[in-house]
Amino acid sequence: MMKLRVQLQCKNLHEYLRELSPEILDRLYNHPATCLAVYRELPSLAKNYVMRMLFLDQPLPQAAVALWVKKDSQKDHDECVSVLGGLRLWHSQQLQGGLQGYILNPVFKDNLRTALLGGGTAWAEEGSTLGPDRHARDIESLDRYAMERWEVILQFMVGSPSAVSQDLAHLLVQAGLMKSEAGEAPYITSAGFQFLLLDTASQLWYFTLQYLKTAQSRGMDLQDYSVEGMSESLLTFLQHLREFGLVFQRKRKSRRYYPTRLAITLAAGVTTKAGFIVVETNYRIYAYTNSELQIALVALFSEMLYRFPNVVVAQLTRESVQQAIANGITAQQIIHFLRTRAHPVMLAQTPVLPSTITDQIRLWELERDRLQFTEGVLYNQFLSQADFEVLRDRAQGLDCLVWQDVAHRVMVVTPQGHSEVKRFWKRQRSHT
Amino acid sequence: FKVPDEISLLVIVVDVNPIWWGQQAQREQEFTLSKCLDAVMVMGNSHMAMSRTNKLAVIASHCQDSHFLYPSKSWKAGDDGADDASSSGDGKYELLSVANNLIAEEIRNVMSKTEVRGNSTDTLLAGTLAKALCLGQEIKSRILVIKAAEDCALQYMNFMNVIFAAQKQNILIDACVLDSNSGLLQQACDITGGLYLKIPQQVALAQYLLWVFLPDSEQRSQLVLPPPAHVDYRAACFCHRNLIEIGYVCSVCLSIFCNFSPICTTCETAFKIQLPQMVKPKKKKLKQTT
Repeated sequence: MMKLRVQLQCKNLHEYLRELSPEILDRLYNHPATCLAVYRELPSLAKNYVMRMLFLDQPLPQAAVALWVKKDSQKDHDECVSVLGGLRLWHSQQLQGGLQGYILNPVFKDNLRTALLGGGTAWAEEGSTLGPDRHARDIESLDRYAMERWEVILQFMVGSPSAVSQDLAHLLVQAGLMKSEAGEAPYITSAGFQFLLLDTASQLWYFTLQYLKTAQSRGMDLQDYSVEGMSESLLTFLQHLREFGLVFQRKRKSRRYYPTRLAITLAAGVTTKAGFIVVETNYRIYAYTNSELQIALVALFSEMLYRFPNVVVAQLTRESVQQAIANGITAQQIIHFLRTRAHPVMLAQTPVLPSTITDQIRLWELERDRLQFTEGVLYNQFLSQADFEVLRDRAQGLDCLVWQDVAHRVMVVTPQGHSEVKRFWKRQRSHT
Repeated sequence: FKVPDEISLLVIVVDVNPIWWGQQAQREQEFTLSKCLDAVMVMGNSHMAMSRTNKLAVIASHCQDSHFLYPSKSWKAGDDGADDASSSGDGKYELLSVANNLIAEEIRNVMSKTEVRGNSTDTLLAGTLAKALCLGQEIKSRILVIKAAEDCALQYMNFMNVIFAAQKQNILIDACVLDSNSGLLQQACDITGGLYLKIPQQVALAQYLLWVFLPDSEQRSQLVLPPPAHVDYRAACFCHRNLIEIGYVCSVCLSIFCNFSPICTTCETAFKIQLPQMVKPKKKKLKQTT
């Protein structure tokens, strides 16, 4: 039985927030840090809208706001309206003349103002009393720490031996990235493969969002920065963050902690690692790296040929690519992986990857896709053409007709539509 | 997936001419230098809040020289020195806290320590702009000038050079004028593609800055913004720095003079021109009538 392929949904922050209920959203917006993060994720035109309205206390007429953009950018304006509304950053309010106006969500407005201008409570309540940290870490070592921790997690997924806590393994399983049979160590799923090939920023987002989902289900609350006054659940959260490399805490007992650049990257999604892969038109891949993780990733979809201290030579073959596809990776992901890690020499040419390679990878994927499976319910043995046509039209009207053969009076209906069609048919028969 | 943001630098040049601001304090008590700097800080904070890769620099332009209010140390050395800087202990984003405290401290230093000597009571804007240009070398940048005192004609040449250098480097110069219109800045904005605005209400400076000058050049293409003002493109003569409409131009170096001189002072070319002879009016014999 062919398993339907699960496509990895890499939602971004906004999509996640839209799904939350208004009360939770307002609670989230009660922190300047969250407001700033959400603000930075907005499209740039929306950022300007928010800034313009940030220091106004009155609602603005919607017609006036619509005039802010030039005529050519009307579509961008509509997109902003939908984004700001969807995130509940502003809402409609009636003005004194009866016209409709926009006003910023007061919770969001106050907290974003605080983030910009000051006032309110500190993000880290104890920041000032702790004094300068004797073991202050500089940015670089924080970065390295973060990347190391992150690689440990990824290596665990690929199957290389690495130490990961129970909680983390459990989270990976819950996120659908790994599966664990009773008693055995978890192994990677097809969703996990796709996850591995994403760039770091997307991986972070996906991971964090999954974590937030499970946190919600576990009843934990999000936010805050200082350790004192944290409840048990928050401390656990902090330890998890520490393991993900999002936060650095010198020892479990230290009172302060530093969000690493990885965490800050969550708000911007920038990875600055240089590319290291060269792809040639003879299907050879040269990866100038000696990171085990990167090599393992390349080996997911190509055949390793040679290994040197600083370079690894691999070959893209039909077998290797189709093997990867059987594991759930798509051709698009392989191409994206190669493109995002392309060596600067490759970046100089257009297109970055040779079109022969990209086309061939896609073709190999299509070779496996000659058949497409859709579940359905078969209706046949109609007594008359008229009966068939009536039922077929009904199914089409309900938008659940998958396939029909008029000559043989056979049709296939989706499982969801089946009950409705069946009911209709029974009514039909009782009438005639 | 997101394209990595490129660094975008905003340099705010503030005219802190003490004479103008001193007079201002008597004219309009609602809008003093502190209030002006508050608005500048709001603008700077908003710019940095927009994106993680946005950077800020603030320069104060005084009578004799210019001073960096922010950053005070070389900023290329890693992140903006947040190691020992004090956070404000409140809800402000820490980076902004650090910046605002630095700016406040520096402006106090500048205003209390800088002397005004002799006759130079004009703001040294051209020099400040030149410094601003040096900052934005390899990165996308723009300059916002907050102008208080009047233009200084003596700086015309330097100013024009700075403007053309900015144009070459694709650096926008925006101008927010508090008092009298500035022909030089109008030209600067027109040539580099920036925005010029003389604000009707000084107390609302922050709001004008956020509405008009906060969006960067890409965002400006989508928004409706104040139209360009009529620009006075009269050149200033090289000898007196007066604005002239008709003058003499050296054919070698294109320097402009209001009066003819046989040798060009810039390139020292000698000219031999025959001036049209002045025709003396013939004396008419007046017929005497009795």
